[in-house]
Amino acid sequence: MPGAYIRGMSLNCALGEDVGSCVSAMKQRLVQTVTLTLNDFNEPLRMPYYRMNDSSELFDPRRYECLIPSVARAAVIQAGLSRDEIRKLPLFIGSSSFSIGLSELSYAKALAQHPQNAIPMPLCGYQDIAVILQQGLGCKGEIYTYNTACTASANALLGALNMIDIGVYRHALVIGVEMINRTSLSGFLGLQILAKTIQPFDLWRQGIVLGEGIGAVVLSADSNSVTRMRVIGGANNCDTWSITTANTDGHSTAIAMRLALKRAGIQPHHTCGIKAHGTATRAGDMAEARGLHHVFENLPPITVLKPYLGHTLGACCLNELVLYAGTLLSGFIPATPGFETPDPVLDLHPLTVEISAPNGHYLLNHFGFAGNNTVLVVEKTA
Amino acid sequence: MTMKWLAVSHYFCPVNENTHLPPLDAAVKSTCREPFRRVDRFIQLALLGSARCVQDRILSPDCGIYIGSGLGPIGNNIETQQQLIRDGEIPKPFNFINTLGASACFYVAKNLSLNGQNYFISRRRGSLQAVLSAATVDLSLRTIRQALVGVVEEVVFPVSEHRLRQGLRDDVALAEGSHWFLLQADESGSRSMVTKRFVEYGALEVFLKSVWCVGDRLCCASMMGKTEADNIQSCYSVESMSDQFSAFHDSLEAAWLASCMMSHEKGKIFLIDGDSERGWSLFYFGS
Repeated sequence: MPGAYIRGMSLNCALGEDVGSCVSAMKQRLVQTVTLTLNDFNEPLRMPYYRMNDSSELFDPRRYECLIPSVARAAVIQAGLSRDEIRKLPLFIGSSSFSIGLSELSYAKALAQHPQNAIPMPLCGYQDIAVILQQGLGCKGEIYTYNTACTASANALLGALNMIDIGVYRHALVIGVEMINRTSLSGFLGLQILAKTIQPFDLWRQGIVLGEGIGAVVLSADSNSVTRMRVIGGANNCDTWSITTANTDGHSTAIAMRLALKRAGIQPHHTCGIKAHGTATRAGDMAEARGLHHVFENLPPITVLKPYLGHTLGACCLNELVLYAGTLLSGFIPATPGFETPDPVLDLHPLTVEISAPNGHYLLNHFGFAGNNTVLVVEKTA
Repeated sequence: MTMKWLAVSHYFCPVNENTHLPPLDAAVKSTCREPFRRVDRFIQLALLGSARCVQDRILSPDCGIYIGSGLGPIGNNIETQQQLIRDGEIPKPFNFINTLGASACFYVAKNLSLNGQNYFISRRRGSLQAVLSAATVDLSLRTIRQALVGVVEEVVFPVSEHRLRQGLRDDVALAEGSHWFLLQADESGSRSMVTKRFVEYGALEVFLKSVWCVGDRLCCASMMGKTEADNIQSCYSVESMSDQFSAFHDSLEAAWLASCMMSHEKGKIFLIDGDSERGWSLFYFGS
């Protein structure tokens, strides 16, 4: 049977430090942001932000080595892999920013101490997170790092799924990482798509609120006693209409959804629920809503998870997959905070109250800069 | 997994303190199918290499794009980091967006009118193997019929700082490049391309013995396990990539392979990578 089992999963995000606490906080709608003030810009930047709930200073570089392996370790422990399997475990990592936050801190420190000798981008490349993970877990398998904007960890998962499907690997650790950094904060501010609150598909939506988070999944050809979720298909395509958003006619997002469903071997009407990408930008929600209407004659229950944990950019797929799977396995499809006033142009109505989650197939959408669209299909089994 | 390769391109430019990076604007303009503004050097390198590989071929509409790189768009990342950390300014939108590796994938897709799958994947000192592995798996699964696979590395001046970032010695040569391979899910005819995975080194050895012929060219990847690389060296006439392409540090396999494929008329070209933990990958290209 094609597809791969989610044999272990874990999450650290603004909601909590493990899947159970995240789902529990979500049920109680304990949605929290902090207000960031960055004084090191010519004009101070202020914005809401979804931060992870550790006690460290937000920009403390030690958070990388402390938090990332800990999330990965929890997923690997739940997967019950042998020591030999862990040692040979391949890593599939998706992130928008990788270790850019560490690079910024190092450059800022050098500028303050020896400005003549300070070198910008003192840490470059994409390997630092992989090195931290390999050292933390003792795994030495192949490394694949994906840098495809907000679809990065979705593509990492799809890459792992395909390799397991064809028998290259039996198990893979897939991880999405997004840690706070000034490049993302100021870059999105410059694009003028930051909002005070996330209102997906709402008439008054104004944009995104950024967040950080780490999600990990052990994907496996073999099931174990705790396995009740499978990734059964997915698809990626590239929309060259604009580098910042998919075509607002919904054409390319619909193609990605149809292809993912086809590869999973299911019809649209077999879908029990949709985890929408729902950035809450004017254009992004338009492209997704129109795509959904192209594919689904009758829309299944739709949820957006970004109001709970923020837009965690390249890690959003893994973070939202784990959170969504956590809610489905707890028996419910969550509501979407922030959605109040339907937009007649979109004609899309995310859930405002939670409903029960049947066994069956669920679709997860992810759309990113550079025209990158990735859709996944998962199955909740009995 | 057997498929075939249709075309290859090889752009390789050594760089040192006394040279200037050649401007790419004119070459990109004359090679690409449409003009592009607001593209940085990394994107230009990707556009140039991919366009030279494809030339005027009509590609399968589902052709996937796979770009590998060790450092990615480092020049633009440097500029962006200076804007925000040194100067305290908000980065310009196109600078910010082009910090992503995937932006190069976008422009390559736009130039070639491709809307299929599109990935930017990095593996330090092994990006070619990472993108080739991902592409050949997708070709084998028939999720795509063609794959355009490229490895791009950019050099940024001053080269002394570029070396420092990578932890290289002062006297190490540098180069930038863009190396592309057009692959197709087709097992018939000449120009075959085969990828094999082995859990055990012994199985790789047995297989290699069964397919190797005198006149074939073989190389061990820079990160391959040393004991096994020495063993292969003692049995076969192994070429040293570092003699020719040491300056292309992070992706010298791509430079060597593209160069071999463009110049080799007969026989097969083998690239081997792996160790006891990662397992073993063998890529070979028939003439």
